Amino acid sequence: MKTSGAWIRPLSGDYLIFIIALALLGWLFSHYWNWQAATRLQIHQGGQLIATLTLDQQRELSVSGPLGITRIEIDHGRARVHSSPCTNQYCVHQGWLSHAGQASFCLPNRVSIRLMGASSSYDSLNY
Amino acid sequence: MTKSCWQWLGACLISIALSACGTRPTPAIESYVFGTMVSISLPDQSQTRAQQLANAVNQEFFKLHQQLHAWQSDSELSRLNQAIAAGQSMQVSPLLAHMLRQTQQLSAQSEDIFNPAIGQLIALWGFHRDEFTPVKVEPEQIHRLVKTHPSMAQLHIQDLQVSSSNREVQLDFGGYAKGYALDIAANFLRTQGVRNALINIGGNIIALGQHDQRSWQVGIQHPRQSGTIATIDLPDGWAIGTSGDYQRYFNLDGQRYCHIIDPRTGYPVQTTQSVTVLIPPAESAGVMSDVASKPIFIARDESARLLAAKKMGVDYFLIVDAHGDVLMSRAMQKILHWTQPPSHIKVVDTEAL
Repeated sequence: MKTSGAWIRPLSGDYLIFIIALALLGWLFSHYWNWQAATRLQIHQGGQLIATLTLDQQRELSVSGPLGITRIEIDHGRARVHSSPCTNQYCVHQGWLSHAGQASFCLPNRVSIRLMGASSSYDSLNY
Repeated sequence: MTKSCWQWLGACLISIALSACGTRPTPAIESYVFGTMVSISLPDQSQTRAQQLANAVNQEFFKLHQQLHAWQSDSELSRLNQAIAAGQSMQVSPLLAHMLRQTQQLSAQSEDIFNPAIGQLIALWGFHRDEFTPVKVEPEQIHRLVKTHPSMAQLHIQDLQVSSSNREVQLDFGGYAKGYALDIAANFLRTQGVRNALINIGGNIIALGQHDQRSWQVGIQHPRQSGTIATIDLPDGWAIGTSGDYQRYFNLDGQRYCHIIDPRTGYPVQTTQSVTVLIPPAESAGVMSDVASKPIFIARDESARLLAAKKMGVDYFLIVDAHGDVLMSRAMQKILHWTQPPSHIKVVDTEAL
């Protein structure tokens, strides 16, 4: 009687396909997976770096600028501008940031937050 | 399978994993000048030297901003605008005369679609302020201003003496000054012996040299999502600029009104989300990165967009229309890496235009 052993024991060609598939998957990930999780948050006010904080915490911070207080919230791996004294509220509308390289600026109150990772996928942002 | 095969496979996977970790962020010196954020990366310089260089560049920007401010009555540009409105001529600085000639030429090249003479329309829409709040505009007012056809061609520049045949001309260099500042900064840093730098003025970027034996990498902001739509390598001397409807705008009655105004209608453009252009090394690469995207942004359909790109001499462009669909040149497609790819992408060969 024929056993199912022929199915269990792969041939060398199967290994080759397995290796190629694995290598291709690895390459696709490294090439296209540009989202790197952020680990740190940098806060600038008036062009000065005022704080670098780890994202691995739950915390609210207040930064004062020319218009008043910008509140920044950190929540276990993500961060956002929670409230801002500016009228346009673009920084607040941007919502949660969680990937390295993402940033939110409040030009009127001169506050910016930027997420940093082990590595950023670009050097500067064109907008 | 032999042991050496597994070793080979392991080595491959490790090298792939490590290749993703080869980049590191460069500390940039940030400041708020020009009514926007300026960021300068100087990877080869000591911290003190980098700060000195950045301060010197920022000082130049500050002077330029004071000179070109469109809504501070004591700036040179405002005084020229007052003289034009009064039907008088005015003697300007050599720098302003040079800028007027350059914008005049670019405006003609775009067939008046890039039009820095429509300052009155921009003010009417409320974009002559540091904050944008919804503005109800009277259609008759817009119609009246559009009918006066303010144009850069109506300026007469005789040496340093400037006058206008149309008193409705009011100059606003909002679509030009940041690009000009990029060129100034790049030239200044080159004269200081700086070989590698990345300068970002309010999102417009110019690259000098490279960084860590690789080209500078730039992320292009997604017009509707947080994060980038794509990333791109910016080689030595190249500049990149984006015009978008997501930076300066207000919402009114469910409609988005952005700061880019079609001089033919007097209304903010509502057919485009963003236009990114990449400019190869040239004396005015910074200026072109700022100016060249405007006529493409204002164009209403595909053929008009392609024609505008051709007129402005742009080979590298990425256009996101009001539906989020992308139209891009083949040249741009070859060098761009998507991070959040759109669902519809159309690639065109610019040689065929």
